[in-house]
Amino acid sequence: MDGLYAGSFAYALGAHKRHVRESAGAGLLRSAPEDLESAGFRWHHLCGPDETAYDLARAAVAEIAERGELGHIDAIVYATCLPAEWPHANGPIRDVKDLMDFPAGRLQAEFGLSRAIVVGLHQQACTGMLGALRLAGALLSTEPQWRRVLCVTADRFPAGAFYEQAYNLISDGAAACVVGRDRAPCRLLTVHQISNGGLARAGDDETVGTYFAYTHRLVREAAARVGTAPSALDWVVTQNTHEKAWQILARLLEIDHDRVWSPSLPDAGHVISADVIVNLSALLASGKLQSGQRVALVMAGFGLNWQAAVLEVAQP
Amino acid sequence: MTTLITGAGGYLGRRIAAALHDEDVILAMRGADKRERPGAQEVIPIDLCEENPFAELDPRRITRIIHAAAVIRFDVDRDTARRVNVAGTARVREFAERCERLERFVLLSTLYSAGRRQGDVREVRHDDAGFVNHYEWSKWAAEECVLEPPGLPVTVVRLPTVISEDDGTVGQYNAFHHTIRLYYSGLLTLLPGDPATPLSLATAGFTVDAVTALLDAEPGIYQACSGPVSLGTAVDTAFSVFERDADFMRRMLPRPVPCDQASFHDMVSAARALRGGPLQPALASVAPFAEQLYLSKSFRTERLRAAWPGYRTADPVALVESVCAHLVERRFNAAR
Ligand SMILES: NC(=O)c1ccc[n+]([C@@H]2O[C@H](COP(=O)([O-])OP(=O)(O)OC[C@H]3O[C@@H](n4cnc5c(N)ncnc54)[C@H](OP(=O)(O)O)[C@@H]3O)[C@@H](O)[C@H]2O)c1
Repeated sequence: MDGLYAGSFAYALGAHKRHVRESAGAGLLRSAPEDLESAGFRWHHLCGPDETAYDLARAAVAEIAERGELGHIDAIVYATCLPAEWPHANGPIRDVKDLMDFPAGRLQAEFGLSRAIVVGLHQQACTGMLGALRLAGALLSTEPQWRRVLCVTADRFPAGAFYEQAYNLISDGAAACVVGRDRAPCRLLTVHQISNGGLARAGDDETVGTYFAYTHRLVREAAARVGTAPSALDWVVTQNTHEKAWQILARLLEIDHDRVWSPSLPDAGHVISADVIVNLSALLASGKLQSGQRVALVMAGFGLNWQAAVLEVAQP
Repeated sequence: MTTLITGAGGYLGRRIAAALHDEDVILAMRGADKRERPGAQEVIPIDLCEENPFAELDPRRITRIIHAAAVIRFDVDRDTARRVNVAGTARVREFAERCERLERFVLLSTLYSAGRRQGDVREVRHDDAGFVNHYEWSKWAAEECVLEPPGLPVTVVRLPTVISEDDGTVGQYNAFHHTIRLYYSGLLTLLPGDPATPLSLATAGFTVDAVTALLDAEPGIYQACSGPVSLGTAVDTAFSVFERDADFMRRMLPRPVPCDQASFHDMVSAARALRGGPLQPALASVAPFAEQLYLSKSFRTERLRAAWPGYRTADPVALVESVCAHLVERRFNAAR
């Protein structure tokens, strides 16, 4: 991924912020609220009844547009865990067009990205945003004329669903960023993925059980792709999960736990594939980054999939 | 010659009683019903937590006692371990002191009465080196109870972890089997312990032979080991068996990553919040002995080998392999 940058990070969360105890009272959780609190979760964000995943995606992209950073987009890669916001038809579906949804196309039209083509990514669950970065890099490598790819991820749980997966408190949310050839805050060095379809139907406990060995392997392999070891990574930005998980992994990978970054855990919980961008945005804003530092973004998702991107700070 | 066996309804007690089938044996069982044993062996109901459990038994008859009764769960609470394994053993000792014809008082103990000590573990009385669970502590305290004050013809047999019958089938599930199941099912992908730590695993046949051979040996302390296997080799062997299984291969589960003690402890404490699923109870079953897997011990067996001419080592890798093959074939369904 020579000469590629990632920047213009933005995100949007569901409009209603609720405390975990409130959501437990509303029957939205499987675990006891005190168990989720002991994992580090406190608040999460839910969409209002009329708010859709597309609305969240649009809000994230609008932020990039407002900053004046949405020009010259050649492709939109749209990642989602729940691909179709199906209408709640009362009878059988007669016309399958009712089952189709084209959020990337809608973004293209809404933001006037007329030269962009659209690509959908929905087999990577909570790791989809990193898959989008990888695909963006691959597209830019095979399309020498292209300059910029907009990566978007958005998910919203349907009404009545539990806002908890694999013992993580969930928020509705979206994130977006641009991968391109122009200098941006981070150079995109590599994205590494492991998939195990044999665990596609894994339950919550198997998902937790296999998390450690796979994440350990993922980070080692991702670091090796950029010629380094996990312990030499300057920062590890994670998705929001049980706070003990990375205390364990940091020890196993010999990474200083102070360099593991997930400050939005209590405030946002796990935002499907967007929390890693929420956390990266906070790191970029923190003033802690220095030029040349290497930042790994690490995510695990159903499917089961594990992805890690390694960035290098270009302009802190 | 009349032998009293406590815990005679238990896994090893039953097998020891069977090995002594042509001798005069009294089987002490909790909640025993004489109809349970139509054979020649006499059955008496004994609960070691009662004040005077042997009140009905004439001590003059007894020439040998094999004390096998115990609570053997690694997660036993301190009070239960004290009541059954320590105070219960004290009651057996009180009875033994009244047996004027007593020739041997055999306590079935565990290699892990050594507790937290590391390195060479000799066939001698241990001092308190700390223990990783109340079971270990209580078995050490039971040893102390029969050895001190001295005077009785006491034999302490420290047993290995019994993982199968001689044919590789599994008759009793314990922490070994539960852990193997966690790896097979993908619920655990961390390996608590140092892969180099030796494990002492054995068949029920080896263990029962050791106990019966030592009935006629000099009183004293014996460590019944049939040849150690390292934790890492045991896990690798298990995975080589799993990897012959189509269901396992379809799930492409990874081999576990060795982890330090603090990390394993963190995982177990985090798992307490994962209520309702299988992971939390499964980890809870592994946790009480996991610390031992970081404490490398080498059990000496000079006294055992000198006292037991029939002593033979078994190939521990072949043992682990056959047990894992059996577990996978049965899909970890309950013991026979
Ligand atoms: N199996 C091994 O791998 C192993 C390894 C090292 C040492 N050991 C030692 O070997 C001995 C036998 O073990 P095992 O595997 O045969 O265990 P087991 O199958 O659990 O047998 C223990 C027996 O003790 C009885 N018992 C428990 N509490 C009692 C009480 N209050 N009063 C009277 N009886 C009571 C149990 O009766 P209930 O069935 O009514 O509970 C059971 O029959 C134990 O001392 C153990 O510490 C075993």
